[in-house]
Amino acid sequence: MLTIGKLAAAGEISPDALRYYEAEGLLAPTTRTASGYRLYGEDALRRVRFIQHAQACGFTLAEIRELLQLRQTDKACCNDVRQRAIEKRLQLAAKIRSMQSMSAALDRLIAECADGSQSVDDCPIMAALEQIDGGAEPAR
Amino acid sequence: MKVELIYAPGCAECMTARTGLRSAAEAAVAGVEWTEINVLDALDYAVELGVLTLPALAIDGSLVFAALPAPAQLRDELLKRAGHD
Repeated sequence: MLTIGKLAAAGEISPDALRYYEAEGLLAPTTRTASGYRLYGEDALRRVRFIQHAQACGFTLAEIRELLQLRQTDKACCNDVRQRAIEKRLQLAAKIRSMQSMSAALDRLIAECADGSQSVDDCPIMAALEQIDGGAEPAR
Repeated sequence: MKVELIYAPGCAECMTARTGLRSAAEAAVAGVEWTEINVLDALDYAVELGVLTLPALAIDGSLVFAALPAPAQLRDELLKRAGHD
C-alpha cells in the first residue's frame, strides 16, 4: 500500500492534486489507516498515469471520469472510447481554428498600427478594440 | 435539399436511427439528397460545420442538429425550410 506522499512522488504530482482527483471522483484511496491517512493500492499509480495522459490529450476531469466509467460498463466497447476521442479531436480543431482567427485579427491590428509613436488615444488598435460593431477589425 | 448525417465509425446509435431519419426526410421533401459522412474521412468539413459531438445532422451545409433528432423533428425542420410550414 502507498501513502499519499509516496503515490504523489511516484506519479510526479502533488498530494493536493491527488486529493482533488478524489473530490472529482477519479481516484479513491483503497483504505485509510486508523488515524485517517489515505492508503492506495497498487493500481492507483496506473490510474494516476491514465488521468495525466488523458489530460495531456485535452480531456477534462469530467470527461476522464466518463472514460473511466466506461471500463465498468458492460455494454461499452472500444468504439465508445473512440467516439469520445474523435469528439475531443473535433473540439480541439475548432479551438485551433478559433485561435487562428484571433491571431489573424491581431495581425491585422498590428499592421494597422504602423506609426508606433502616436499617443495611446490615437492608437488604431485601441480604436478598433473600442468599436462596438466591428469586433477586432482594424479602424478604417 | 441536402441532408448530411455525420457519424463516427462503429456508432451503433447512428446505424439504428439512420433508416428512420432517411425515410422521414425523403417523405417530407421531394428530391432530398441524403449523405452519410464518416467523420474520419471529413474532419475538416465537420469542424467547418461546427460539429463538436457525434452523431450530428446538417441541412444544406449548416449544422442543424448537434444530436440526432427524432424522425418527426427532422420532418418538421425540412418542411419549414421548404416553406410548407
